[in-house]
Amino acid sequence: MPPKPHRILLDRVSVYADEAAAFMRRRRVARRPFARLYYPHGRSADHAQDSRSGAELFVAAGRLIEVAGNGQKG
Amino acid sequence: MTTVMIQEARARVTVGIFTQMPDAAAATAPSRDSAEAALEFLAEMSPDLRGAAILGPEGEVLAATGEEPERWAEDAAALFAAADGAEGVPVEQVHIATEQGEVFAIRDAGLAAVSVTDRFALASLMLFDLRSALRRLAEEAR
Repeated sequence: MPPKPHRILLDRVSVYADEAAAFMRRRRVARRPFARLYYPHGRSADHAQDSRSGAELFVAAGRLIEVAGNGQKG
Repeated sequence: MTTVMIQEARARVTVGIFTQMPDAAAATAPSRDSAEAALEFLAEMSPDLRGAAILGPEGEVLAATGEEPERWAEDAAALFAAADGAEGVPVEQVHIATEQGEVFAIRDAGLAAVSVTDRFALASLMLFDLRSALRRLAEEAR
């Protein structure tokens, strides 16, 4: 007896959800700090943390994170 | 090839749209009350937000979370200076992800906004929210 159509659909949705959750887990583990700048016309550029420009960006970002503190989260 | 041509055409049209917008020429800064309301709305929309500031055309703080608005102005100016200096071209958006949190900055409609969020905040949503807030403020100021 073939499975009911809605079960096929539900199975497929849960497979996609599992895939997405696995992707997010890997992303959290593997992601490294980065600095990305976006320019007009959609161009973007990454700056490595050990480059001069990257180091300046990370220092500036660190100060802002310090100012924000834990914010409204108490 | 066709896709590239379409993107080039779209870029040309988009440039046309942006040149018509009152970007750097935003004559009047929005009121501090509207900026504060925009910031509150932003905080409500973004559960990951730790803090943010909205800056006027001269880099002055119109609204900021926390007790140190002057520091937001200084540090946001330092961030934009570092970002502009990276390639010698003014940036439109900045996204820096660190172990301690993420920093977003955007310029639009002659205003600027900076926000700090928890790690792994959705960048596209955060930048969209910041841009929308700035555009609404600029429209109100006109």
